[in-house]
Amino acid sequence: MLRYVESGAPLDTDIAIETPEHIVFRHRVAGPARRFLAYLLDLAICYGAFAAVAIVVLVITVGVAGASATTDSLGAGVGLLLVLAFAIQWVYFAVLESWRGTTPGKAALGLRVLTTTGRPIGFREAALRNVLRAADALPLTYTAGCLSMAGLASMAVTKHFQRLGDLAAATIVVIPNRATKTVPLVLWPPAQPEELAHLSDFVRLDADERQAIELFLRRRKQLGPARELELARMIAPALGARFGLPPGDPSRALALVYDRAANAGRQGDAPPSSGTPGSWS
Amino acid sequence: MELASAPTEAAFVGRRQLDWERLDALVRTAQKRGVRALAAEQVAQFSPLYRNACADLAHAQAVRYSAPLVDYLQGLAAAAHTVLYSGRNRRGTSRSWMRVALEAFPRAVRRHKVAMLIALLLFFVPFIAGLLGSIADPQFAVRIVPEGQLRPLLDAYREGFDTQRGAGTDAAMAGFYVNNNVGIALRCFATGLAFGLGSAFYLVENGLATGAIMGYVAAHGAGANILTFVVGHGSLELGAIGLAGGAGLQLGWSLVSPGDRTRIASLQASARSVVVVVFGASAMLFMAAAVEGFWSSSSLPSTVKRGVGLVMFAIVTAYIALAGRRSARAEATEKSEAARWT
Repeated sequence: MLRYVESGAPLDTDIAIETPEHIVFRHRVAGPARRFLAYLLDLAICYGAFAAVAIVVLVITVGVAGASATTDSLGAGVGLLLVLAFAIQWVYFAVLESWRGTTPGKAALGLRVLTTTGRPIGFREAALRNVLRAADALPLTYTAGCLSMAGLASMAVTKHFQRLGDLAAATIVVIPNRATKTVPLVLWPPAQPEELAHLSDFVRLDADERQAIELFLRRRKQLGPARELELARMIAPALGARFGLPPGDPSRALALVYDRAANAGRQGDAPPSSGTPGSWS
Repeated sequence: MELASAPTEAAFVGRRQLDWERLDALVRTAQKRGVRALAAEQVAQFSPLYRNACADLAHAQAVRYSAPLVDYLQGLAAAAHTVLYSGRNRRGTSRSWMRVALEAFPRAVRRHKVAMLIALLLFFVPFIAGLLGSIADPQFAVRIVPEGQLRPLLDAYREGFDTQRGAGTDAAMAGFYVNNNVGIALRCFATGLAFGLGSAFYLVENGLATGAIMGYVAAHGAGANILTFVVGHGSLELGAIGLAGGAGLQLGWSLVSPGDRTRIASLQASARSVVVVVFGASAMLFMAAAVEGFWSSSSLPSTVKRGVGLVMFAIVTAYIALAGRRSARAEATEKSEAARWT
């Protein structure tokens, strides 16, 4: 089912999930760099907590037993710390991931663990993928394992950046895509008659063209003027041959073409309810 | 198909927006505080709102509404999907944990008994070799375990159990056993992913070293003491290491011989099937750590300790062999089902 969905997929690091409702949505799959940072953050949290507990244990043992801490209270403290060290290595990730699908470090970088069919993972999957960290760390030992040679190699050759633990547990790490709603594009300033004089009255774009222009228009302010001009110059002539383009800024010309195609010349008849003029200078 | 115009899209958004925002609010509550934080009527609303959002997404994609709107709906549908289908991830109730302990774990061990037996052989053959070799010639042990580690162990066992050590030392040792032994078992399982070689290595290494230490201590005349010490927790501890290693061997074998599946599918199936063995082995090692820390080192008479050790061995063996047992036909059905689906 998944393979069928993916045959016409764009070239990207996404995974397509088809739900029982026959809706296909795409999750962005997280790459090694982002996951490495999340892992470091988790380790920092764990060992920070470990250090804090160690200090408390020390203070209590010395405080309770005076300067000559008895071996009894000290021993109990050491036992506790050793169990804590065990929990950091083997329990922390499994419990948190099965509980909320993420750990504090992963959450900070916007990551979440899902099964390859897009569902939240259970305790089995969480335990499996995290116990198998020891295999991902090969040929090094666990402590040096954030370099995780086998895991990196596995991520490099699999399609969805799965380390060995992910492969065995059938899980993926995604960046849940929660795009905020954006207002529709509004041409600003409004089209001037002298600009429209050059433009055909009947502009028809196919869906891909329209989407390409729209994405360009939404993104152009982040591109920098030189890159914006460069990109616009690549598309504008092709459109100009079909519809006739006003001279001057090709970026503005694309905006005019888009406006005419999307609003079908009804600019002003039905102003978008939540559109703020100026969102599209 | 005629493409939708911006006013059409704006009208569509205006019409549907309220529902999306309600769904979004429910999703955020569920993500932040869990599905259980939703009230009954909110749960009832969730599914229709989600299905409508799915329909809206399909519509928006079909008539090619603007990319940001489609992205927004995708994100909303994906987040709601994750919440809605988290039902399988039910909280571990005490009943489900009892079922794992009393049925699933021993059954899984028996399902993979060939791998488990090989693992036990890989552990105990080197163990006996190390034991006999060191009894015959204590220098044999020194070649396997550094003398700096052997000396203090020998001194401790020579001393016997009469000098009562403090409860604090007991607790520290129990903590050490948890950290060390459960860690070894989990690593022994995990490295089985390397076609079983990692598990085999850890089994042989630990078997040889354990045997050599016991032989070395016995050769210096403290054999009775170390036997008294080990017998209490030995069946739990050594058995659990064997089971974890066996689970690792099974994992590796699924890659070596995937049958009529792809190697990845075969790995996933066997991982699902053996992971419960790893849970069980870890639990056994936790118990072993408590016994080893607090009981094995106590100054009780050695006959009591040996008697209890024998009883423990019988209990562990009977538990693995018999717990959760059903008619042969039911087990055979489960096995073929497991082979096909899990």
